[in-house]
Amino acid sequence: MKDGANVFADQSRGSDRCLDSGCLVEDIEQVLISEGEIQARVNELGAQLSATYAGKDPVLVGVLRGVFVFMADLVRAITIPIDVDFIGITRYGPSTRTQGVVRLTKDLDVCITGRHVLFVEDVIDTGLSLRYILRTLQAREPASLMVCTLFNKPRKRLFDLDVAYTGFVLPDRFVVGYGLDYDERYRNLPFVGVLREEAITRQRLPPGAQT
Amino acid sequence: MPNPRNGPIQFSHPAEAAFARVLDFYEIEWEYEPTTFPLEWDQDGRVMTAFSPDFYLVEEDLYIELTTMQQRLVTRKNRKLRLLRELYPDVKCKLMYRKDVESLAVKYGLFEKGPVPAECLDDNSGEPDRHRREVE
Repeated sequence: MKDGANVFADQSRGSDRCLDSGCLVEDIEQVLISEGEIQARVNELGAQLSATYAGKDPVLVGVLRGVFVFMADLVRAITIPIDVDFIGITRYGPSTRTQGVVRLTKDLDVCITGRHVLFVEDVIDTGLSLRYILRTLQAREPASLMVCTLFNKPRKRLFDLDVAYTGFVLPDRFVVGYGLDYDERYRNLPFVGVLREEAITRQRLPPGAQT
Repeated sequence: MPNPRNGPIQFSHPAEAAFARVLDFYEIEWEYEPTTFPLEWDQDGRVMTAFSPDFYLVEEDLYIELTTMQQRLVTRKNRKLRLLRELYPDVKCKLMYRKDVESLAVKYGLFEKGPVPAECLDDNSGEPDRHRREVE
């Protein structure tokens, strides 16, 4: 494993990314997967999917928002014609716990009935939201429905779900970057890193309560 | 709601109530402690040890047991789970450890007071009374 700050500085040299004191990198304890490792694996997945779905005119479906980073790189690594669409769902949390059940906030614009659908995820852990989404998509009777995730945390899974394509298996640690967030932050990091405990604690405190 | 019930369920632990709310949100049908599995018997056939997993996910045919005890204190629960798997090999049961519950708490904001409020953690050597299912 590499030191997060050093790796991030090396990877970002010559770019416009903010590396000043106070930026996101200071909250990263350790880089788990570098930007280069991610890009290499995404390219492998792209080649694999291009072969699997050749001649099938697939629809790639992602759920907002975390998947947008992976989806953007994945579709550019796929060499066959594809459609891309996104759905949005409410997630359980402090702002939704009193709103009953999960609901779609953005439905698909593409009709997937009879189409080969590849559902693309940034990370799968408990599988709670994935289970709901797969049922929603399956009800529309696609020709096939497979799952591709860049990051997988199978130890967190509550129940069995069939994941056909996995980029990386992540350890049982709280990680951010490359689309993965904590409280909507850190998605724009180009690598995946472990968030410092202080950063988690700090962001839970109300404004003005930080020491 | 996916779990129509005749009355409010008295959960033994705040973490169970929080977990139930997450299951409801994702429309996962569940039952609370629906089954008690006898695990050990005395010479007269009386049940000496039993195990009632907290949740049963109906469609998944899966039992889930939550624990917020520290890892070093879950020995007895691990033993029950091992016995359950030996005696009832067709029963699927997943034990969610304190770390798993904390992870859920961070991800879903389970508790209004913070990640996992102190009153929701079992840091003492004893298990909550409800876990003492052994027949004395």
